[in-house]
Amino acid sequence: MARDLALLIPEIAVLLTAVGALIAEMLRRPQIALLVAVSGLIVATGLTVSLIGEDTTVFGGSFRVDELSVWAKLILLPATILAIFLARVDVRGTVREGTVYSLLCFATIGALVLAGAGDTMFLVLGTLLTGLATFALVAYPDTDPATEAAMKFFVFASVTGAIMIFGLSYWFGAAGSTLLADLPGMDTMPMAVLLGFVAVVVGLGYKASLVPFHFWAPDAYEGGPLSIAAYLSVVPKIGALFALAQVVRDLPPESGWTAIIAGLAVLTMTYGYLAALAQTNVIRLLAYSSIAQSGYFLLGILAVGASELALPSIILFAAAYAAMNLGAFAVAASTGRTLNDFDGLGRAQPLIGLAMVIFLLSLVGIPPLAGFVGKFLLFAAVIDVQYTWVAVVAIINSVLSLAVYLRLVVPMYRQGNVVVARTDIWLKAVLIIALTATLLLGVFAQVFVGPFA
Amino acid sequence: MLPLVSLTLFLPLVGAVLILCLPKPATRTVHVIAIITAALTLIGALSMWFQGASGAGFSQVEELQWIPAIGAAYRVGVDGISLPLVLLSAVLFLVAVIYTSSLRERPRAYIALVLLLETASIGTFTALDGILFYVFFEVSLVSMYFMIAGWGHEDRQRAALMFFIYTLLGSLPLLLAILGLYLGSPEPTFDMRAWIENPPLEGAAAMWALIAMLITFAVKIPAVPLHTWLPAAHVQAPTVGSVILAGVMLKFGTYGLVRFALQMTPDAFREAGVVVLILGVVSALYGAFAALAQSDLKRLVAYTSVNHMGYVIVGVAVAAITLDPSVRTVALDGAVLQMFSHGLVTGALFLLVGMIQDRAHTREMGELGGLLKTVPMLGWTFVLAAFASLGLPGLAHFPAEFQIFLATLSASPAAVVVILGIAIIAGTFLKALRETFLGEPRQRWQSMPDLSAREWLAVGPLLVLTVGTGVAPSWVLGIIHRTTSALAL
Repeated sequence: MARDLALLIPEIAVLLTAVGALIAEMLRRPQIALLVAVSGLIVATGLTVSLIGEDTTVFGGSFRVDELSVWAKLILLPATILAIFLARVDVRGTVREGTVYSLLCFATIGALVLAGAGDTMFLVLGTLLTGLATFALVAYPDTDPATEAAMKFFVFASVTGAIMIFGLSYWFGAAGSTLLADLPGMDTMPMAVLLGFVAVVVGLGYKASLVPFHFWAPDAYEGGPLSIAAYLSVVPKIGALFALAQVVRDLPPESGWTAIIAGLAVLTMTYGYLAALAQTNVIRLLAYSSIAQSGYFLLGILAVGASELALPSIILFAAAYAAMNLGAFAVAASTGRTLNDFDGLGRAQPLIGLAMVIFLLSLVGIPPLAGFVGKFLLFAAVIDVQYTWVAVVAIINSVLSLAVYLRLVVPMYRQGNVVVARTDIWLKAVLIIALTATLLLGVFAQVFVGPFA
Repeated sequence: MLPLVSLTLFLPLVGAVLILCLPKPATRTVHVIAIITAALTLIGALSMWFQGASGAGFSQVEELQWIPAIGAAYRVGVDGISLPLVLLSAVLFLVAVIYTSSLRERPRAYIALVLLLETASIGTFTALDGILFYVFFEVSLVSMYFMIAGWGHEDRQRAALMFFIYTLLGSLPLLLAILGLYLGSPEPTFDMRAWIENPPLEGAAAMWALIAMLITFAVKIPAVPLHTWLPAAHVQAPTVGSVILAGVMLKFGTYGLVRFALQMTPDAFREAGVVVLILGVVSALYGAFAALAQSDLKRLVAYTSVNHMGYVIVGVAVAAITLDPSVRTVALDGAVLQMFSHGLVTGALFLLVGMIQDRAHTREMGELGGLLKTVPMLGWTFVLAAFASLGLPGLAHFPAEFQIFLATLSASPAAVVVILGIAIIAGTFLKALRETFLGEPRQRWQSMPDLSAREWLAVGPLLVLTVGTGVAPSWVLGIIHRTTSALAL
């Protein structure tokens, strides 16, 4: 018991942080709530470092402390800090400022629970926890679009969540246990395996905004505060994708799950970028881009269990994706929500312009930026398991994505209206951290790949 | 022992960062820093040159662990094939920044891009790690995109976009090939030396990898029918952009053809050699005919590049087909020297076209005329460069093309029809010279100034090297030959 709790110290720290921020909010001290949230998350990140290299489970195998779960903390906790910085810009001085910080911490616990799930019940718990906290966050501005967005988000979550629970009942029936580690025992019942898996894909796919469960994402991103969009596109998504990786680790390989994932990957990437091409609103464009990027994660998931490169590639790409996507959202926060707002940005604000170019090129996967290294390993993993055609589709999509992101870059260097970009200290901090990570992750890739291969 | 290669490689990048970090520098300061950086880089390249390369394998190798878990490392080094190209890049970038020192429009960003491109170019030629090669290969793309999009001519956005998407689409198959080589290696590594020593793929897998590489390099070279981005990009690019694009970046394609296609999938290349040979012949002839049909001086020079690079493809294909090692050596000597010569000559031609455009604001040959009398120095230098380009003996292209044709004749005589290209290019340039430089000087251009000191400094070194390489090619060929004759395929 004591050992189990010791291994869960980071999660406990995040929980205490969330509660602490909530108490500060009850005392009407939003600054203190901010301070508690940020310092608590930093402490939790620090506590995680000592767990690197652990590969064990706690509480009878129901929660895993392995490379996925540890790296999820090391990636998602700093990402949450950056999202809190962005949120500070959005909600400063509003009535319930402190609740935002607290809810962000609660949602992050949900994502961490997902990433370490060793039991199907944790999948349910994680999706509910992130869901409940983020509905409220999307609705926070209390405007009509925000309320509508939150409503859509909520209805979608309820339906997909119900489907997932229904499907999990098949697994429970077939395996006689809710533990993921007992899933291999179902290999005599391929139909049950497949039905359950489809249901899990629906439930987690909604959270990770995989096509065709993505419809809520552009609306929720656009309707809610920008910082929440940035948060939703990174933290719950990575949590859900890591959970999917945890699930497929134990699935019998003959059950045909790889074909489902391969199809979803191709669909998600292609549809995401095609839809992004048609957007004029930057937030919607970034929303569709983040949908497409989920498809790239699936490449790594496809290789889980069969290639040594699978887990390192997913983890490295998650870190890269968190940095570059948060960076791009931060630039949008400083500039504006329509493509026209970006006219002349690169000339008026050369440094912000340069940062945006770097984030976008990294999203395309241009070397030597972080996104390239991540995608490169993902491609290697998927080719390693003989799904070369998926890698080819992914590569063609990378070219398509260039057209998407250049739609933002080209107006930035046009002779345009003088751009009044907001340069808040919080925004600057996010930009600098995200930029540093995007530039340097590739150089230190060994840190992510090393311990496992 | 100084890490010469890495120093030379990263010096321009340091210069670029320095320029970006200076708070509001004067335009003059920016240009001075740029010239000093490029000059130091040239000194670095020269020291590498005098260190030389041993016969077989790579010399001056520098290695640093990067991702040991997957066998990726920072590895650079040179041999007789890459060394001339490194020297060529250093020379061309120096003359490019000298030429560009009159630029007033946002010089800081422009110079930073040029210097970034220099690092990417030298990096592409010296990289000995698959990932590292790809990184530099792509970084060059990005900097060239922004150079065209930001400082090009009228229709630059479209041309830049076309260039970027075309060449990105083109270079991604190489990524697949690199991954294939990696996964095929007995001991997973991205070390290009290991791939060359012991080609990891065979049979159908090797053929697929070769096809992927050929697509990438055919776009970059560019070979017909994947050349359509080239005229658009050249016409819209700023002068220095064209010089670097033609002088340095096209060599990425031919260098890759030798380094990757020929050395890493030799058996597949031998099987497919005839196809590549035909591709080269068609490319050379098509480029020549297309050049003949142009009325825009810059497009004309751009198409002659397609022609000249076509000869390089022919040379490499002959080297792959032939079973006689001595013929192979001659073919490769010619192909590598052709890359070097083409960089010098086409660099000079694009500079001169740029100078004409700066003065006349047109490149239409019909509107010019009689320039030899108005601006004699500019005129005669153009004549010299044009004669070099059409392969006149005593100038840089001659020894290269001669060796390629010689090898072709003994390996696959039918392909020698490619020699027709020389005649067509000769016609092209003679026509261009007549329309642009001969005849009575026009009233419009009476006040046109002749070459300034800055322009002499830019174009002079290239012409000296052109004559030097033409008269005594052995100073370059010596280094090339030592490697090509030791090449085991």
